[in-house]
Amino acid sequence: MSDGAPWVIASDTREGFAARIREMWQYRRILGFFSLKAVQGLYAKTHLGIFWMFVRALVPLFVGSFVFDTVMNVPSGVVPYFVFFIAGQIPWNCFDGPLIRGSRGLEVNRMLLTKLYVPRIILPLGQMAAGMIEPAVIVLVFAGALVYYRTTDGLWYVQASPRLFASAASIGVILFFAFSLTLWTSVWQARARDARFALRFVVGFWLYFTPVIYPMSVVPPNIRWLMYLNPLTAPIETFRWGTLPTTEHSWPWFGYSVAITAGTFASGIWYFARTESATMDKI
Amino acid sequence: MSERWEVTPRYPGPLTTIGEVWRYKRLLGFIGDRALRKMYRRTVLGWLWLFINPLFPIALRAVIFGALLGVGSNGIPYFLFLLAGTVVWDVFAASLMWGTRSLEMHCDLSDQIYHPRAILPFGNMMPALLNVALKIGVLVLAVIFYTARDGRLYLRADVALFWALAALALAFLFALAISFFTAIWGEMTRDIRFALSQLLSVWYLLTPVLYPLSQVPEAHRGWMLLNPLAIIVETFKWGLFGIGQFYPDALAVTALAVTGLLVAGLIYFSRSEARTIAQR
Repeated sequence: MSDGAPWVIASDTREGFAARIREMWQYRRILGFFSLKAVQGLYAKTHLGIFWMFVRALVPLFVGSFVFDTVMNVPSGVVPYFVFFIAGQIPWNCFDGPLIRGSRGLEVNRMLLTKLYVPRIILPLGQMAAGMIEPAVIVLVFAGALVYYRTTDGLWYVQASPRLFASAASIGVILFFAFSLTLWTSVWQARARDARFALRFVVGFWLYFTPVIYPMSVVPPNIRWLMYLNPLTAPIETFRWGTLPTTEHSWPWFGYSVAITAGTFASGIWYFARTESATMDKI
Repeated sequence: MSERWEVTPRYPGPLTTIGEVWRYKRLLGFIGDRALRKMYRRTVLGWLWLFINPLFPIALRAVIFGALLGVGSNGIPYFLFLLAGTVVWDVFAASLMWGTRSLEMHCDLSDQIYHPRAILPFGNMMPALLNVALKIGVLVLAVIFYTARDGRLYLRADVALFWALAALALAFLFALAISFFTAIWGEMTRDIRFALSQLLSVWYLLTPVLYPLSQVPEAHRGWMLLNPLAIIVETFKWGLFGIGQFYPDALAVTALAVTGLLVAGLIYFSRSEARTIAQR
């Protein structure tokens, strides 16, 4: 070392958007590993295990349906309230669970991150898998409810029609929106635990802004646009429109939600990549 | 020299335990402070989080359930109705959540110095009570505001106010009694924390906080009154505003049950503490 050449320590090269996505694709097998780990870790060290997943999905559905339907008489159009309620809970749970779990992606893998390199974006994505268990269970309950009402009311409330594709698309939008938000929140949460309390707080009242327990028809028409500003409103309405007969829904606002999601995703990737090295230092 | 020594834990009765907690009462503030620090470590805002939440969710629920869905409120403004219900519910729910985590949060303290373990659930509830005190302050302001706006006194100004206080005390003691069990279980397994928060969110819906009991169809009212919290919440609102119904018999039964549970909890706690702490 006598030539006195200066040493340069290069940090990550920030190759931009396309490179990030390409890298994620290269490491896709790791995603499976992290997803599995997240699901297993969900109820590790608990005694009730898998049984617990069913209980925690089922009981709130029945109790909520009793309170909102029998006690509060919330209208639900032509379908029974229970069916209406679950058809809102499926897309909502695709948002709520994955967002909360995914936000912990960096935090829970802190030990691992200090030891080896993985594309960090994989971590929130893998963690989101743990949040998918609950909506999956609710879908099963939904199927059960449909069979039950087929025997009592003599008709299927869900018809096989091309509209079901719209429902699937809504789920896609919601999941993607949750992932895009995770790109922001997982960074915040790795830096300060405040983010966790704030997130729980925000998601807790977000539910009330979203037509899950009540239909859009109870909202006065002149302030409905205000509800649609919430990017979750249109996909949830579209999901219901696709699965159940006659509920309100609006394609222009669905387009708005897609645009918001795309914007959140692009800015999320940018933010995540920009703060990545600084976050890793703080962890 | 062949004397046999046998070391066995001693099981104090409930009265002894209470006496011991009383002697160590100066620890309460210390434990509460410690709980706050632990709960909000590595946060920027720290213990301020305890005070950030009170008002906004209540206002939002008032808009959704009171204005949009038109849920009844026994003839007083829905916001006031909801606020009162939330205060007494939170005395129960928040105390229970904090109390349950007490042993788990302070096990390092218990390793180091002696103190009566039974003081931990109680001391850990201090942050919850602070939060409730803030909500009570908001409730007082809201009563003043609505009284000035409508020119009618919503608050009931007679001895029945005593019943409202009794309901608050009962809600707290109920949470304390359950905490003696759940704190022990919470140290043994992680399930209990998830189970409890899940249970509380369902319990909340089944307790007449968002809606008055009078709105529940007659057929269902009977079994809803089996919920001690339903009695406590209704009594609180009846004592405060004179709305709803007063159930003296059910209240007496609830009070007896809470007392019984408290004694059972103290006994269970003092029997299990030695085992739980030794096992760790």
